[in-house]
Amino acid sequence: MPPKSRPAAAPASSTPSKPATSSKTGGSMDAQDIVLGVWNNYQKITPQRVKLLDSFMGFLVVVAALQFFYCLLVGNFPFNAFLSGFSATVGQFVLTASLRIQTNPDNKKEFESTSPERAFADYVFGSLLLHFFCVNFIN
Amino acid sequence: MRSIPLISSCVAALVSFAGAELNLSQPLLSKQVLLSTFKPPQVFKNANLVRTTNLDKGYPRETINVIVENIDSKPQSEYYLPFESSLISRVGGLEVRDKKDAEKGAFKVEVVGYDAESSATEYYLIHLPDPLSPKEQQTLSITYSVLSTLNPVPAQIGQSDKQYLQYTFSAYTPSAYLTEKQKTKIKFPNSDVPDYTTLPAESNAEKKADPQKQGSTFTYGPYNSIPAGAEELVSVRYEFTKPLTYASLLERDIEVSHWGGNLAIEERYWLENKGAHLKNQFSRVDWQKTSYMNPPTSALKGLNLPLHPGAVDAYFTDDIGNVSTSRFRPGNRESLLELKPRYPVFGGWKYSFRVGWNANLSKYLRKLSTGESYALKVPFLEGPRSPEGIQYSRVHLRVILPEGTTNLKFSTSVPIVDSQIDIHKTFMDTIGRTALSIHAINLVDELRERDLIITYDYPWAAGFRKPIVVSLGMFSVFAAAWVVGNLDTSIGKKKTA
Amino acid sequence: MAATEGEQFLKQVSSRNTRGLLRVIILVLIAGAAVSSRLFSVIRFESIIHEFDPWFNFRATKYLVQNGFYNFWDWFDDRTWHPLGRVTGGTLYPGLMVTSGVIYHILRFLTLPVDIRNICVLLAPGFSGLTALATYLLTSEMVTSPSAGLLAAAFMGITPGYISRSVAGSYDNEAIAIFLLVFTFFLWIKAVKNGSMFWGALTALFYGYMVSAWGGYVFITNLLPLHAFVLICMGRYSPRLYVSYTSWYALGTLASMQIPFVGFLPIRSSEHMSALGVFGLLQLVAFVEHVRAQLPSKQFQTLLRALVLIIFVVALGGLVLLTVSGIIAPWTGRFYSLWDTGYAKIHIPIIASVSEHQPTAWPAFFFDLSMMIWLFPAGVYMCFRRLTDEQVFIVIYSVLASYFAGVMVRLMLTLTPIVCVASAMAFSQILDTYLDARSPKADAKENGTSDPAKVAAAVVLPDGLRSTRQPLVGIYSYASKLTVIGASAVYLMLFVLHCTWVTSNAYSSPSVVLASRLPDGSQHIIDDYREAYYWLRQNTPDNAKIMSWWDYGYQIGGMADRPTLVDNNTWNNTHIATVGKAMSSREEVSYPIMRQHEVDYVLVVFGGLLGYSGDDINKFLWMVRIAEGIWPDEVKERNFFTPRGEYRVDDEATPTMKNSLMYKMSYYNYNSLFPAGQAQDRVRGSRLPAQGPELSTIEEAFTSENWIIRIYKVKEPDNFGRDLQSATAFDQGRKKKRATKRKGARVLRVE
Repeated sequence: MPPKSRPAAAPASSTPSKPATSSKTGGSMDAQDIVLGVWNNYQKITPQRVKLLDSFMGFLVVVAALQFFYCLLVGNFPFNAFLSGFSATVGQFVLTASLRIQTNPDNKKEFESTSPERAFADYVFGSLLLHFFCVNFIN
Repeated sequence: MRSIPLISSCVAALVSFAGAELNLSQPLLSKQVLLSTFKPPQVFKNANLVRTTNLDKGYPRETINVIVENIDSKPQSEYYLPFESSLISRVGGLEVRDKKDAEKGAFKVEVVGYDAESSATEYYLIHLPDPLSPKEQQTLSITYSVLSTLNPVPAQIGQSDKQYLQYTFSAYTPSAYLTEKQKTKIKFPNSDVPDYTTLPAESNAEKKADPQKQGSTFTYGPYNSIPAGAEELVSVRYEFTKPLTYASLLERDIEVSHWGGNLAIEERYWLENKGAHLKNQFSRVDWQKTSYMNPPTSALKGLNLPLHPGAVDAYFTDDIGNVSTSRFRPGNRESLLELKPRYPVFGGWKYSFRVGWNANLSKYLRKLSTGESYALKVPFLEGPRSPEGIQYSRVHLRVILPEGTTNLKFSTSVPIVDSQIDIHKTFMDTIGRTALSIHAINLVDELRERDLIITYDYPWAAGFRKPIVVSLGMFSVFAAAWVVGNLDTSIGKKKTA
Repeated sequence: MAATEGEQFLKQVSSRNTRGLLRVIILVLIAGAAVSSRLFSVIRFESIIHEFDPWFNFRATKYLVQNGFYNFWDWFDDRTWHPLGRVTGGTLYPGLMVTSGVIYHILRFLTLPVDIRNICVLLAPGFSGLTALATYLLTSEMVTSPSAGLLAAAFMGITPGYISRSVAGSYDNEAIAIFLLVFTFFLWIKAVKNGSMFWGALTALFYGYMVSAWGGYVFITNLLPLHAFVLICMGRYSPRLYVSYTSWYALGTLASMQIPFVGFLPIRSSEHMSALGVFGLLQLVAFVEHVRAQLPSKQFQTLLRALVLIIFVVALGGLVLLTVSGIIAPWTGRFYSLWDTGYAKIHIPIIASVSEHQPTAWPAFFFDLSMMIWLFPAGVYMCFRRLTDEQVFIVIYSVLASYFAGVMVRLMLTLTPIVCVASAMAFSQILDTYLDARSPKADAKENGTSDPAKVAAAVVLPDGLRSTRQPLVGIYSYASKLTVIGASAVYLMLFVLHCTWVTSNAYSSPSVVLASRLPDGSQHIIDDYREAYYWLRQNTPDNAKIMSWWDYGYQIGGMADRPTLVDNNTWNNTHIATVGKAMSSREEVSYPIMRQHEVDYVLVVFGGLLGYSGDDINKFLWMVRIAEGIWPDEVKERNFFTPRGEYRVDDEATPTMKNSLMYKMSYYNYNSLFPAGQAQDRVRGSRLPAQGPELSTIEEAFTSENWIIRIYKVKEPDNFGRDLQSATAFDQGRKKKRATKRKGARVLRVE
């Protein structure tokens, strides 16, 4: 029953474009220079730490995709295990994305109450919870 | 009087028995084990013996008045009373007194048994307080009840039929000694006795018809020179259209609270009607039709619990909640708790429930002059009072004393089989309360007036243990909350900074 | 209110603290009022578990407390659904039992040995106090005025719509679920407002708790995505929304899958798909926004928008495809009945037969919500005025919940919190406006001057309200203020009176115990249910199987402690239909069914003597219908109606009716209670046939005092191999059936 998780995969499959920004999305566009502009912009503006986060997100996407294809090809026998593994990556991804958004100085006005430290504490809290659930679910 | 149960309880402590489960089939008895070859030494003879069997209640009450004479050359003090081994586990409340000197109190009695299971006869051993010199006579008055020995015959009757019970016994009073002269009187509740065994007139000492009838009283005998162990089984069948109320277990908790000045009593009953079963199923129509006339019935319709005056907050519940059909009548002489089971309890039906009430402690507790000791005097058994009587197969009495009680002693005239002192932990206890549990078997409702007297030491300081512990606990919680609150804000500040 | 009043007088430095303290005290008082108004039944009757479902929850809780958590998790209950049994641990929402189990153990740890029954009885009132608190928090997030929060808490505390499910003793899932519902919403609003992962994770945590407690969690599962979706559609996407929603969904879904009963549902059933869809959508939107922030190019934006749309459509198409191909479970029947109220009646009679699944009658709204019903729209309207993110939530919630409450009586419960919040907002607005202007003269004057300018005043809502009233009064503003405040106070009083009245009269009966009044005014308790259940408990073998209609299954399990064939957990329609068939067929048909299922006793509820209308004859048609659903050839509803289409039990009853086991069991021997030919059924108000029904395969075993419960024993097969009809006939000495007798003899000889 692999197709079941397809909707879940939809966000994941759209996200590879994010860290490796738009090299794929841009591929379909004719405006090659726009993509290039984005890339350059990204390289220029993004601080090193955020890049680290981005690469982590990229890694998560790859892991998620791997799990998903494994599930497609080999079968999903311990469905619990697959599901918790997959949700762990997805959950970690969104949490990381949230952390990235919250720490982004551009969004400062949106998040008046959350300092980066607070955001990181939240991140740790969320991740702990996430992994607790996953471990509990995996049997 | 006090020493008897104490010693017998020590004897009982030797015998281990498992916990008080309802369906424990093994009879609870304290025994002194003897070899199976044991025969009581023939040192006595029964000069004259009159046995009276009273069948007014739902169990036979036997009274044996016997003149014993020492025929040995030495003074003797051990008199044996035989019972069939199947019967001895159902004998309850056996007491022996000196007929001439009843005030002297009951003699010490213990059960002796054989190691072999199969032996047919077991004995009660009666210790005479003063050894009887040779050729001397003494009149003993032995009373006891036999539980669950009456069988309804026929075993199944209609809902509004009369109930007949059958009682089988030996026309010759079982004795370990030669009996020179004896007779047995049977008192029936009424004169409706359709069946009874007639014995040949030849065996009768006066050569008259055996038994002799006189109203509702039958007399078997007199018989002359019946040897030890002789038996002549006879049975009688008589009308008894009343419930045979039988409590397979009664748990009775008495909780003493010095702070509240309160004595809380709760009793849990597992009742059963041992009467004749219903031939057909229960018919509500018939029940409703006949209930107007209130005829005698073998069904248990209600129970009346007389309580001491001053009892308050009585309740009557069972496993699924309050039973609304009870009524509590406080009174000056005694308060009456009228219980009505949820359904009429017919033969073979069961009903278990609990009742409880509170009483003012000062009526039961007395401070002794010697320092911080107290004496508590409570009834050993209260329970319902009814003309047909109630049999209690097992009674577990537990007296819970305040936390910190020490040096506990008790005495009672009710025959008990075991007692122990343990710890009961409940509301906010730190070291737990001292609890005395007493086990008794084969009791009947006649013993309900007997008292249990407990003396104990309760130091003044122990009374303050709980308030101190509780306030310390509260204080530590607040302190912890305060510390945690302080910690939390400091972290938050750091973070937001 | 008091807080705002106090504001005027407490302008010192400490006033903030004082008001805070005052607020805490008021909240505690409200919680106290909420708890105590639910104790009617305990005071009037006793501490007892009510109704039907709570008995199962109670039994499960006892099992949990006695056997520990892990045994509870793997509990296979062979005392229900005989002979099938039920995997109870995997088919219930454990939140309720675990909650009371935890409370029990905490109390034990504190050396307070409280009976588990009392914990169960008082759990619902206790949680209702917490619900009031949660409502306060939720409302405080919506508006700045603290008085609205306090009002909402007070409303929530005493509104009958909520009390109906949370009186002491109604130990049901809803008891804690409403608190969780409101609190989850509060956390969600907090998360959306702050855009915080922490609050999002907390939302998920409480969502998980809610999932473990009540099937109604689906409401949250759909409402939160809807809120997010509407915000996106309104062009209100913000990173805060992304953070809160994704952290909630990722964690919440995982949390919900921890419950065995829910299991894989969150990724398989359609009810949960909207949440997933919005999750995906948010990823896309977030990505697009991200890119847009990097690149302010117009064409690019539109291109991306198109992309988003395409992906969305593809995802939706995929979802539909998956649903059709059956990988994702389609909507459940209960859910369909939400959209089409007639659906259940046609397709699933078992759902329709439950009274709380019926559409709500109009008076019920007023009955349960009283004056809030007209304050509610005003509150919703006020939300439209400002329409912040959280107020959008109120609007969506109220629209959805109003609809659902109209469809199913039971869902009135989900409507109640939002009605309380919205009407408190409206009410506090009125009070704030009218109370605020009392002390400063300038304010009053301003009010006075604004009176003539009605048009200007009408712009603001509360002013509008006042302006419509003031011309009526036509005097000075003090008078108008007094009028309005007085009127409000009167309304509040009436509300309190109404709530108390409804609670004490309608919702505080345990339904296990019935109360009636004796002529002298004293209360008489009719305790037939427990009489009969206790008889079963004491006087039947421990594993005697009891057959009864499923309504009483949980009670028999809980009070009589005997195995049952069917119970209120209606998971197996066929099994219920079997019982329905046994009840509605002739004895010859029913007897083999009963023997097959090893039934020892049959229990029916009969109210004819007492006029108790909730009896089995009145429920009989549902049995027939459910049985007909499985055996349309053998059981026909039409046959139970007279040719004129009436449902009768008297002389004119149809032969099918008269021969049905249920009819016979209900009226067996009933005649002999009356003078000949005078037997009267007081529920249906009809005179019964002179000749009472006769039974041959079962015999009366017990009938309770007022005949409400009748228990029959199923006879053993005849010793001589005769069928029981002829055996009975023979016993009664009837010579007519000689033929069958001879047959019986012949059988003997063959052997």
